[in-house]
Amino acid sequence: MLLAHGFGCDQTMWRSVAPALATDHRVVTFDHVGSGDSDVAAYDPRRYRSLAGYAEDVVGICRELDLTDVVFVGHSVSAMIGVLATRRAPELFGALVMVGPSPRYVDDEGYTGGFSRADVAALLDSLDSDPDQWSPALAAVVAGPGNPGTAAELQRSFCRTDPEVARQFARVTFLSDNRADLPAVTVPTLVLQCTDDSIAPEVVGRYVHEHVPGSVFTRLAATGHCPHLSAPEETVAAIRAFLGS
Amino acid sequence: MADEEQQVPTELDRLLEEDPADLYENAPCGYLSMVPDGRVAKVNGTFCAWTGRTPEEVRGSRLPDLLSAGGRVYYETHLAPLLRLQGVVREVALDVVRADGTVLPCLVNAVEVRDDDGRPLLVRATLFEATSRRRYEQALLAAQRATADSEVRARTLQQVVSELAAAGTPEQVADVVVRRARAAVQAGGAGLWLAAAATGADTGRPRPVVLAAADGLAPELLAALVAAAEAGAQLVRSGEVQVVPLGPGLRERWPDLATAMAEAGQEAVVVVPVSAADDRHLGALVLVLGVTDDSELISLAEPGTRGALVPADADLLATLGRQAGQALERVRLLLETVRQAARSAFLLEAARLLAGGHGMTETVEGLAALAVTRLADVCVIDLVTDRGLVEPVVAHTDPARRHLVEELRDLHLPRRDGRHPSVRAMVGRRTVWLRGVDDADLQRMATGPGHLAVSRALELADLVCVPLLVDNRPLGVISLGNGAQRGPFSEADVETAEQLALQMSQGLEVAARFELESRTSHTLQASLLPPVPPHVPGLAVAVRYLPGSSGADVGGDFHDVVALPEGDVALAVGDVVGHDVTAAATMGQLRSVHRAFLADRPGPSELVDRLHGSWPLLGLPRMATAMFARLDPATGALRIASAGHLPPLLVAGGRAELLDVVPGRLLGAPPGPAPEWKGELPVGATLVLYTDGLVESRTADLDVGLARLRTVAADASGDGPADPGELCDRLLAALTGPHRADDVALLALTRLR
Repeated sequence: MLLAHGFGCDQTMWRSVAPALATDHRVVTFDHVGSGDSDVAAYDPRRYRSLAGYAEDVVGICRELDLTDVVFVGHSVSAMIGVLATRRAPELFGALVMVGPSPRYVDDEGYTGGFSRADVAALLDSLDSDPDQWSPALAAVVAGPGNPGTAAELQRSFCRTDPEVARQFARVTFLSDNRADLPAVTVPTLVLQCTDDSIAPEVVGRYVHEHVPGSVFTRLAATGHCPHLSAPEETVAAIRAFLGS
Repeated sequence: MADEEQQVPTELDRLLEEDPADLYENAPCGYLSMVPDGRVAKVNGTFCAWTGRTPEEVRGSRLPDLLSAGGRVYYETHLAPLLRLQGVVREVALDVVRADGTVLPCLVNAVEVRDDDGRPLLVRATLFEATSRRRYEQALLAAQRATADSEVRARTLQQVVSELAAAGTPEQVADVVVRRARAAVQAGGAGLWLAAAATGADTGRPRPVVLAAADGLAPELLAALVAAAEAGAQLVRSGEVQVVPLGPGLRERWPDLATAMAEAGQEAVVVVPVSAADDRHLGALVLVLGVTDDSELISLAEPGTRGALVPADADLLATLGRQAGQALERVRLLLETVRQAARSAFLLEAARLLAGGHGMTETVEGLAALAVTRLADVCVIDLVTDRGLVEPVVAHTDPARRHLVEELRDLHLPRRDGRHPSVRAMVGRRTVWLRGVDDADLQRMATGPGHLAVSRALELADLVCVPLLVDNRPLGVISLGNGAQRGPFSEADVETAEQLALQMSQGLEVAARFELESRTSHTLQASLLPPVPPHVPGLAVAVRYLPGSSGADVGGDFHDVVALPEGDVALAVGDVVGHDVTAAATMGQLRSVHRAFLADRPGPSELVDRLHGSWPLLGLPRMATAMFARLDPATGALRIASAGHLPPLLVAGGRAELLDVVPGRLLGAPPGPAPEWKGELPVGATLVLYTDGLVESRTADLDVGLARLRTVAADASGDGPADPGELCDRLLAALTGPHRADDVALLALTRLR
């Protein structure tokens, strides 16, 4: 089982679900190039000018580690990276789990993605004007009142990203359109949809479900965009239910 | 004292004795408390006042729903995970959306309150207004972007300048400009149209434009742009960068272009003039603005707003247009210089061939071979001679097709009234250039089926025939042909062919004149020399005359043998200075005068005196040396006088000696006495008179020549009386080579009894 984080964070996102999934799966987590502990020097702006470069990396990881029958769990934009990876090398994948997927964030004629072009432009502006905020080099290490005892863990920083990479990744994430790739997915697919996800609203999750042939749609009680963080048990249970069926 | 200590609480004390509820509600910052799913559970009055929302509206909303799109994404992708992972976030900039839709920039601090097991219970957040900070950040960002954009433009320009400097052909220039200009303004596509090269005749009509390079244009759109360009789009004339939006004007004037643009998602056409340093228009760079297929990503620009060009980009394009124009001019000049040099080298080589002094046939063959290496695939040179058009000289670049031109040579004898362009060129006395030869042309010019078959097999696409003219008189015609692979002739090629024809005509003219002159002077000389010496009993006489070996040169050498009625024999050998017609004419005159003077029977010395005396009267233009002798065949009495001439040779019985005749002055020089040598010619002996051509050479001394003369003569004489004819031939064979600078006159006389 290969767990792929989305835009804005790194593989530590999976720490609440990985142990539970590891009881009966070999769990592999990784950082996309430019995120977390990855080698920023390996970031090639040309390779990562579209999601295809990330999908090639996923296929590369599977081949390098000699993984087969992979359950690819992709969060957010990584759900679409998974779609592209299964299209590229369908023989490697046994199932696809999409957590909060969106094939296109920008609204289009007859399609609601949740964002206007102006929204995305403002988002990219904010990445430009607050690079530190979006790409923290160092986490705030001061534990606030009410959450003592976490200081040791906070020594390391989360969600580190190179600012230039973050900017490009945001562009690629929010300006891609993978709607046409959905009908070509051939592996069993689960769409995990949160309640009140302000990035990937339910109408988008439904769209994905309707266009990926034979996909299963599971709506979680968990709110927000990161159920694997906010509701790890429910997330694991939903994945298990899908894989068990 | 106690009273003094128990002071009445002041207003300040009352305010400082803060009511926690009031402090929360009216604090100078917004307070929000959220349950773990992000839903707001509690909100203070300050936040509600700032956002224009009621507490009821806020409560029950999730925080991201109150934020701008960017804030929403940050909340879901960063803030919520960070709070979960590290429990706290500080000084996060988020935009809260007010009830009226306006944005309130805030700085947010938040902590996650957890239970003993680390499970989240509550998130507390404080929000501070950060409008001025955000304004500052945005101004900074705008400034940064302007700087970055300007740097990108400067870099583009720099790249273009350096790439153009490296470009060596117009195609490379076009490619650089199209690619770079398109990338610089993120155009959907771009193409460069150039005005076709100027032709000889300026018709005043706009010259046709040719597509030099294109990038990113869909085939239909490219075709529509080509059609619009060919229809004479005059947009470039203004000299400014013009943006023509896809609107009613465009739809009306170029409906096909408008349709193609709409289908390709393009919203405007930009026309950038490409001009030379002196503002001459060379062409136009055309870009379409709209969807760019380069990136798979969605364009951030709303449809309908993609056809705009910011002034800085328009300026950049204008500069690129000028740079391209200058580079084109430079490259064209360079290519022209190279071509010019090649043409000059070719013509120089042709001139060398013509000056090489080879025979006419060899020279013409060399020229044909040269023409097919440099100028054309096929070269046929026809020459007119006394007998009309002769078998032409042919050459072909391709050895595999050489047999075709050889067949052509045998078949190609165009009639004077024929339609062949070579005949038209000769008859019309002008170059005939047949562009794009087709089968109908071949049929028209063919002299017969065989000729037509060969012409077809040669697969010529272009044919140029240039007449060889001297004083407007045709000497022949050069026909050059190119196959499709080599491509059509350029104006410069045809000019070169005309230059070659001019050089050849002059060369042929000189050669023809030379031949004529040479023939004339030799004829003249031959007519001036006595044909056969007279028969004199008891004597054997032989004479020889050899002209100089260098072409038209004729000499002034002569010999004469006169049998006088009394029985004496008068001999003369002379040499008039110079090798031309004048020398020959002088010689003829001198010989006539000699014969005339013999009427008075002067002795040799007297003869020299008389000639000296009458030289000015005769008006002879040249000086001469001469030797005169008088022999009595009966007695062998011999008298000799010399006017500056080489001594005679006496050959007898295997011996040869030079007679010691004292030479007088040259004829034509101030007169002086010529002492008379008197002796005897024994029976069996041979007297040899000769001119300096026999013994003088450029490489050897005169004495050496004389010594060799004696040796050869002695060897040839043998024991008995020599045959003077055989002696002459032996002497000539041994003493003159094939290359003689001078002519030779030789007279040998043997006394037989």
